[in-house]
Amino acid sequence: MRRYFTTAMTAHLRAGGSLYLLTVLGVALGVAAVLSIQIINRNAIAAFAGSVKAVSGEADLSVLGYTPSFPEDLYPRVLSTPGVQAAWPLWRAAVALSSHDDGMLDLIGVDFFTPVDIPWQGEPTDPAVALSQPGWVALTPRLAEQMGWRVGDAFTVSLGSRLVRLTVGALVDFHALNPLASPKLAVMDIAQAQSLFGDAGAIHQIDVQLADGADTDAMRTRLQDRLGPGVRVVTPEQRQAQAKGLLAAFQLNLTALSLISLFVGVFLVYSSTQAALVRRREELGLLRSLGATRRQVFALIIAEVGLLGGLGAALGLPLGYGVAQANVRVVSATLSNLYLLEEIARLEMTTWLYALGIVIGVGGAVVGALLPALDVARRDTRSLLSAFTLHETVGSLAPRLFALGVALPLTAAAWYGLFGRHWQHAGFVLAVVLLLTLPLLTPLLVRELCAGVRVRGFGLGYSLKGLGVRLQTTSVAVASLAVAVSMLIGITLMIGSFRQTLSVWVGTSIQADVYIAPASWRGTGSDGGLEPHVMATVTGHPAVQAVDRLRRFHGYTGDRQTGTVRRIMVSGVEMGLRQGLSRFPFLPGALPDPYEAVRERRGLFIGETLARKTGVWVGDALPLRTPTGVQDFPIVAVYYDYSAGDGAVAMDLRTMERAFGPGPVSSTALYLRPGTDVAAVVADLQAALPDAPLEMRSNRRLRTEVLAVFDQTFAITRLLQFMSLLIAVCGIALMLLVLAREQAPELALCRSLGARGRQLFGVFVGKGLSMGVMGLALGSVGGVLLAGLLIYVINRAYFGWTIQPYVDWGLIAQQAATILGAAVLASLYPAFRARQTSAAALSRDDL
Amino acid sequence: MENKPVSDNATAVLAFDAVSKAYAAPNGEPRHVLHDVSFEAPAGRRIAIVGRSGSGKSTLLHLAAGIDVPTGGDVRVMGRSLAAMSESERTVLRRDLVGLVFQFFYLMPHLSVRDNVALPALIAGDRPRHFEPRVAQLLDRVGLGDRANERVQKLSGGEMQRVAICRALMRRPHLLLADEPTGNLDDENGRRVMELMLSLVAEEGGTLIFVTHSREVSGLADEVWRLHSGVLSPYAEVEAPTAPNPS
Repeated sequence: MRRYFTTAMTAHLRAGGSLYLLTVLGVALGVAAVLSIQIINRNAIAAFAGSVKAVSGEADLSVLGYTPSFPEDLYPRVLSTPGVQAAWPLWRAAVALSSHDDGMLDLIGVDFFTPVDIPWQGEPTDPAVALSQPGWVALTPRLAEQMGWRVGDAFTVSLGSRLVRLTVGALVDFHALNPLASPKLAVMDIAQAQSLFGDAGAIHQIDVQLADGADTDAMRTRLQDRLGPGVRVVTPEQRQAQAKGLLAAFQLNLTALSLISLFVGVFLVYSSTQAALVRRREELGLLRSLGATRRQVFALIIAEVGLLGGLGAALGLPLGYGVAQANVRVVSATLSNLYLLEEIARLEMTTWLYALGIVIGVGGAVVGALLPALDVARRDTRSLLSAFTLHETVGSLAPRLFALGVALPLTAAAWYGLFGRHWQHAGFVLAVVLLLTLPLLTPLLVRELCAGVRVRGFGLGYSLKGLGVRLQTTSVAVASLAVAVSMLIGITLMIGSFRQTLSVWVGTSIQADVYIAPASWRGTGSDGGLEPHVMATVTGHPAVQAVDRLRRFHGYTGDRQTGTVRRIMVSGVEMGLRQGLSRFPFLPGALPDPYEAVRERRGLFIGETLARKTGVWVGDALPLRTPTGVQDFPIVAVYYDYSAGDGAVAMDLRTMERAFGPGPVSSTALYLRPGTDVAAVVADLQAALPDAPLEMRSNRRLRTEVLAVFDQTFAITRLLQFMSLLIAVCGIALMLLVLAREQAPELALCRSLGARGRQLFGVFVGKGLSMGVMGLALGSVGGVLLAGLLIYVINRAYFGWTIQPYVDWGLIAQQAATILGAAVLASLYPAFRARQTSAAALSRDDL
Repeated sequence: MENKPVSDNATAVLAFDAVSKAYAAPNGEPRHVLHDVSFEAPAGRRIAIVGRSGSGKSTLLHLAAGIDVPTGGDVRVMGRSLAAMSESERTVLRRDLVGLVFQFFYLMPHLSVRDNVALPALIAGDRPRHFEPRVAQLLDRVGLGDRANERVQKLSGGEMQRVAICRALMRRPHLLLADEPTGNLDDENGRRVMELMLSLVAEEGGTLIFVTHSREVSGLADEVWRLHSGVLSPYAEVEAPTAPNPS
């Protein structure tokens, strides 16, 4: 049988090369879609872990603050804790490179006299030099090469509104410690860093090495008790788990989207296997009549498909890596923007990822072929050799499949209503059910639609009529296109709605005329802020009518009972500002006069995302970690919040200062007197602060930039949509090629009755167009339902945003035209093959 | 007149002029199927061609319909030389002047009886209001007027062949070519179908050339020709027709 397998496979490959090629391509695209996302997902976590390992690789525990920084006098307390063998403080900040737009440096201040193993490139540096030379800093060789710097070169960075001149003192190769460490890590003396960046007495982290034999958990508890509630003591694994938790929803959604491509790819394998088996029915019947067992026939089919899946995986692996490589910059920027994690410096293909690609390719193909293979293997020899075809099977099953397609979503909806609504992943179950429903409904719908067509010419009507009897081929192609179209339209509607909602929200919440922020501020509220002299210059401009100061940092919620903490964005603003009364668009239910109430009650506004995740609403109190412990803040209102991560709160600046102590202003917004020329004011301020590393944005520019970040965030989604559609279009081409083969006698008859080659060409293009229209129609219904699920169920469960539905008809029309155009394009080659059918072919086969 | 049977009728609907046809054998050598065949079929004649399997009968019909092209000589339909025509022109000529009936009927399973009959008109781009009365007339004539909307799979073999004949006559061809039209039917059905076809051709005034194994069927023709090893000759000059098709 093995020899027969080789011989038969070779012969089939020769006879139907283009069919197999399309199947392999479909598998390859499915593998590439899933793999590219997995590569990026894994490397995003690995980049974070790599940097943690490079900086704190020798530490058993790290002490981190609940506020941006904490006093360095905690350090001696750590050192004096029994069981601690060594500890070293770290000062960390993301500083902006003045010479490079958007360029950041992850600057780490270390004590060179502590036992930190720094991977110097070349001779180890004398700590005395690092301490004595002002602005001495060690960079990674990769960054130095990228920037064209050598040892001795000077460059300028900024933190907040402060400019600092640094000198490259040495090269430090963190990649030697971990290949995935960020190339943007840089080290300098901690005292110099504190002094130069105006952060005296503050540190961000203490890494702790435990004595041999010390129990990590016990030491963690002991240190936590000793240091008090203002800081947290964590293991490296806990830090990594936190990063994973942050990205979980984002990554899960990308994975789910990529799986749709695989789903469509599996469909393609299913349909191509089915079509191949229809063609090879007699061959398999003959094998059975010559003594081949059912198991052998089944194994023959699965082995062939497995081989094709293997080829698809072999093609999909480099393709997936290429797609990941091409998109890593965009995704990395998104992760940095939204989740404030390390940039992904490079992509690494691990053995696990290779294995995943192969499993997806071969497994997906085998799953796709399983049903048709089982069906054929179960048949008796007589039925395989008879004229009975698999097309008839699907034709007779169509009503039952349709009934199942109606019952399945109804059952799922009932399940969701009764039990599923409280389960976070229920939305995905509903989406899968929806996508499964479409293929179940398709055969009957296609059959009935085609049966109802009256043939009035040798054109579209004739094309449609022919599709109705080849259900096995056509319904699968239509169904796979419908699934892809559902995804395309559903996600387009969701993104369009989200963008429109965001645009309205930005229009409401961005009201000031000019926004000023330091170049090092990426919305993250790092330590650096606007220095007092900068604030004085800015607010002293005669055209400024009112000033809104924003102080922002990452804080933590605290649950006294469970100890659960969430990292959230905490903002302090001028709540009493008359001009800023619409900055926070509230959900219904806010207390009367919320801006007054939030000041008087020393409360806060809570973002919708956080409210949904914690179940804390107006009238409740939210516990927040402060330097002095957990404090409860009454909730005055819930505002629409579209930030990523675990959520955000806003309070009055004075409330913030009382709870968290004084701190720098992160950014400021200026309200100008009516009729003022905004550009002229910006020019005045830039002239008054010529060297200040500030970004001054007009209202319009800020709105545009917010939407640009939004578009960047969804770039990878669009790519996945495209890949899914491409697979579906391959499916149409494949099915039409199958039709061209199966219908060769019919085409030959038409030729003998006088049909010209171009007429057959037209009929096949008509078939492609008809399948495109049917897939589009069915997919549009599915797409609208999917958009509803994404907006009202999945988004709510994972992100908690309120999205107002919005339809961009122009974009939808454009996509519909693209889908139909793609369907027509896919039909061109099969149509060309059909056109070449000779009337003489009729004598060699029957209809 | 050996191997060049020429009709006494002055107007030839179909003419073969020293036609030869050879295919390349697997070893590369040419395999001759027809040798220097010449004959003319005048308007209104009913000509039967008999011969053993593999004698070249189907090839001869394919050449007559312009489905295939000769390797030597010329075929003329209504005086128009097929050798001078492109494939596309031959297709149009076949569509407008020739009707074909096959042994295995070759009906489109997804079309109704009516649509199968109308297929040549659909291909030619005729308007429904022009061809629909003709479809109804033909179906009535063959006794299937009340089954026009049925799917063809529901018909018996004889009924299917009647539909195929209607389809062949749909656009009033000058030349009707039938390849073993009764070969897939029992004797009784075959005889009825043949009589129906002959009477229809007579009513329409066309020329009929049909290939058959059946002595009884060939006896209905005005002339009988025998094809033997690629050589065409009048049947009466050689021997009796071959035995009827066992099927």
